[in-house]
Amino acid sequence: MAKVLSEKFYAEMKKLEPRYPTKVALLLPALHAAQDELGWLSSETMEEIGSYIGIHPAQVKEVASFYTMYNLKPVGKYHLKICTNVACCLRGAYDVVEHTEKKLGIKVGQTTPDKQFTLHEEECLGACGTAPAMMLNNDYVENLDIRKMDEVLAKLGVKG
Amino acid sequence: MPKCTIDGREVEFKAGENLIEVARKVGIEVPYFCYHPALTVVAQCRMCAVEVEKMPKLQTACSTPAAEGMVVRTNSERAKQNQKSIMEFLLINHPLDCPICDKAGECDLQDNSYKYGDAYMRTSEERRTYLDLDMGPVIKKNMNRCIHCTRCIRFGTEVAGIHEMVAVQRGNNTEITTIDGRPLETDYAGNYADICPTGSLTLKDFRFHKRAWMLKKTATVCEGCSKGCNMEIHQDNNVIHRTVPRANPEINKYWLCDEGRFNYHYVVDPKRVTAPKVGAERSTWHAAVAEAKARLHGKKVVVLAGTDLTLEEAKLLQDFVPKAFPGSALLHFGTPGIETTAKDAPADKILKRKSKTSNLNGFEKLGIKPLESMPAADAILVVRGGRAQLPKVEGLSNVIGLGVFTESESASFAAVLPGTSFAEKDGTIVNYEGREQRLRRAITPVGQSKALGEVLMLWLHSGAAKEAAV
Amino acid sequence: MAGQPTSFETMYVQHFNEEARPLAYYLAKMNGYEAAKKAFGMTKDAIIDEVKKASLRGRGGAGFPCGMKWGFIPKESPKPKYLVCNADESEPGTFKDRDIMRYTPHMLIEGMLIGSFAIGAKAGYIYIRGEYVREAKLLNEAIDEAYAKGYLGKNVLGSGHDFDLTVHRGAGAYICGEETGLLNSLEGKRGEPRVKPPFPAQAGAFGGPTIVNNVETLADIPSIITKGGEWFAKMGKLEKSGGTRLFSISGHVKKPGVYELPSGGYTLRQAIFDVCGGMLDDKKLKAVIPGGSSAPVLTADEIDVVLDVEPVMKIGSMLGSAAIMVIDEDTCMVKLIQRITKFYAHESCGQCTPCREGCKWMEDIIERILHGHGKMEDLDLLMSITDNINGKTLCALGDAAAGPVASFVKKFRSEFEAYIRGEKHA
Repeated sequence: MAKVLSEKFYAEMKKLEPRYPTKVALLLPALHAAQDELGWLSSETMEEIGSYIGIHPAQVKEVASFYTMYNLKPVGKYHLKICTNVACCLRGAYDVVEHTEKKLGIKVGQTTPDKQFTLHEEECLGACGTAPAMMLNNDYVENLDIRKMDEVLAKLGVKG
Repeated sequence: MPKCTIDGREVEFKAGENLIEVARKVGIEVPYFCYHPALTVVAQCRMCAVEVEKMPKLQTACSTPAAEGMVVRTNSERAKQNQKSIMEFLLINHPLDCPICDKAGECDLQDNSYKYGDAYMRTSEERRTYLDLDMGPVIKKNMNRCIHCTRCIRFGTEVAGIHEMVAVQRGNNTEITTIDGRPLETDYAGNYADICPTGSLTLKDFRFHKRAWMLKKTATVCEGCSKGCNMEIHQDNNVIHRTVPRANPEINKYWLCDEGRFNYHYVVDPKRVTAPKVGAERSTWHAAVAEAKARLHGKKVVVLAGTDLTLEEAKLLQDFVPKAFPGSALLHFGTPGIETTAKDAPADKILKRKSKTSNLNGFEKLGIKPLESMPAADAILVVRGGRAQLPKVEGLSNVIGLGVFTESESASFAAVLPGTSFAEKDGTIVNYEGREQRLRRAITPVGQSKALGEVLMLWLHSGAAKEAAV
Repeated sequence: MAGQPTSFETMYVQHFNEEARPLAYYLAKMNGYEAAKKAFGMTKDAIIDEVKKASLRGRGGAGFPCGMKWGFIPKESPKPKYLVCNADESEPGTFKDRDIMRYTPHMLIEGMLIGSFAIGAKAGYIYIRGEYVREAKLLNEAIDEAYAKGYLGKNVLGSGHDFDLTVHRGAGAYICGEETGLLNSLEGKRGEPRVKPPFPAQAGAFGGPTIVNNVETLADIPSIITKGGEWFAKMGKLEKSGGTRLFSISGHVKKPGVYELPSGGYTLRQAIFDVCGGMLDDKKLKAVIPGGSSAPVLTADEIDVVLDVEPVMKIGSMLGSAAIMVIDEDTCMVKLIQRITKFYAHESCGQCTPCREGCKWMEDIIERILHGHGKMEDLDLLMSITDNINGKTLCALGDAAAGPVASFVKKFRSEFEAYIRGEKHA
């Protein structure tokens, strides 16, 4: 089977290996690195990670599926994860979610047909003092409100 | 020995023993689902929580080692309330489809619900459901019945040595499964069904065959290899419906390999020859014995005996051969390449051994020599139980089969005298380490099959005058 | 005059800005790595004694005395020992550790260096929640700086002590804030909590004796070593709690944020009305969650409680991670508890029966009440389910889910009844 992960991925793993007493401990870092590279974790990717670490692919999926940050399905170019936990919901996060749904024409959990945007509700991001907060790919956007969301979306090319 | 008190009774224990095991010694049952004596303790089901004096919270008996002077109550109000509540939690999402579930009658969930649960349910929410993916030829999964005890996962990783059964997702959505609908890879898959405390994992081989409570159980030993794993044969109306492992901590613990588990099929195989045969034709016992005797009369005969026969049968042959065929050799056969116990070895890290018959060691103890290469002979008498792999006898016109054969195996035989399999007789086998164990007759011989002793008596004593009686 | 009070000594807030991050600042303005030098001249027992004297209680939520925890580690061990920093900061409402990692990462690194020396660990890990991508990067930069200057690695500052420190990212699981769930996650497994005993101090990361401490706990260590346990203990206003604490205050207040207050030095009322400038838009206060979302809710007339472990426990809640969430009069408590319960059901690892089944069941019932299909019996059923979860689960997540539900139903029952009677709709 042709490899899906790059030389860079393997180089990064090689560097991390001496940091841990077991090879299995590389699993979370490997899943992160693979996702950074490919956007999501396909069965092929997980199988390749499994054979690199020396574990059954089922063990890879068992772990990957436990954590919400690992995308086991493809996501859009921009992955919006809006926190709706206590502090954010007290500060109006659900209004922002609703607004974003309308604006993007998709519901929470969906991806726009042009594969540009995926929208998710997120659990507490640890940014409650600047609530509501969201993650846009790997970055935080804080003190969110409808206006700020519009600005963010405008920058990403959403009109109106 | 240190002592603790359980439900007012003083119990001695060995250091490290957990409260479930210690209570069991004095006949006190602590209910559980996830605990299994051969697997890691995970304390997940919480059913076994008991009250331990000086501890504010209930303690799970599986994960609590007994300690000197410990005072335990397994049936206090708090413990009982917890059992009731765990049963309620487990049943919120269980389909309660016992009438169509194969596990009914031998289901831990059903039994514990009856003993420890409440008669009423307080939930009116919709039940959680899953789509079931296939798991290969051995196991049928019904995830809706699963209570997430993870015994199967632990069996896979800790015993079978393969991390193929896993929990994916988490929380209320956790699904126990193989990934992407892959078939199970282990050749010990049948055990998944045995250790499942519900009807979530059932044997495809047994599904919808028989209600558990209708089965008659016979304790016996597997004949699949020289290991001698302990098993039970479950039958009804003389039909074997399954075999299951019987715990023996010194041999097989709680497990059976699939090869041994499903080996019984040949006993009830419709292609098994269960009536005497002369050539390709069905015959009568007297005609077949007469034909066999005639074929071997005055010839240079070799007697080949399968190492799937019992010690008693081997001894009978040792007496019979010099009387019937003076000067003839009695040689044993069983697994090509493993003619002696010296060549026998583990075939995997779990149970299986290379000798694929049960009694190679017993034959050696009786001094019977192996068949290394076929000696020059005009005629051959092949005696076997049904498991030993037949040596090549093609091209010989005077081959007589005595024992268990299929139609195709015996197609070139001059005559077949149908004998008994391991499930149809009592007898002794000696495993690789010299342990003598008893086979027990679970069913009466199928069709017109006869025990070896009976056939040999016929052979020695049948004459023209007696033929009518046969 | 709202904002961070200045009437007492603080360790953190004066440095909570971007300029404080580099090693150069830490060395120049914060007496950086002097505590480690001092510690290397002390015996391991003396360091642990100093921490004990400081009355430093774990800042992650449980409030366990740190010195005592360190004392549990065996002196000799055939397996390597580990020091692990819990930077999962997953309890909703908590965001203080993020500021430490962002602005004063070397306080944490030096704290870990000292801790590792005291317990005899040669390797340490900072388990940081996956979402803190930026903070993980900043930590790695700070760690690189420390390596370059010999504050990490082989024979640190000529002490003979080797210490390697690695940042390990989580990937979105609240339960990895539980220390044994965290250790499983560090080992590359599902973040499912382990059966205890054995406790991590006996068999933790990779089977070796392990101490798991919160970010703030570890970042407190250099100050304790420099200025002494007694000094630290005296910063706290109650006997058993030393030091200042970083409070994460959010919700309906004028100035949400991270504030550093003496342990036991402020009441909840002062925190809300003096420190945070009072209620947002001057609305009326309805309720407060005083210690992260797993803490039972307090009503507006319970806010004269002193903010420390025991006083808050005494009134039936907990200080937890000192994450205060303030709730105003316009908030629907049924909707709020639905959101909280949904969170715990979502975060339950699914191992143990009461948590896996019970959290979702509670969520379903509350959801049903919100949508007009509730019955009065449901409220008793909810209370009964919380009883059946509380104290019966494998780890503390069950209690974390049950406590809030019980407190909301008890204290705001009429709001639930309004939905059940059809007077309100979601």
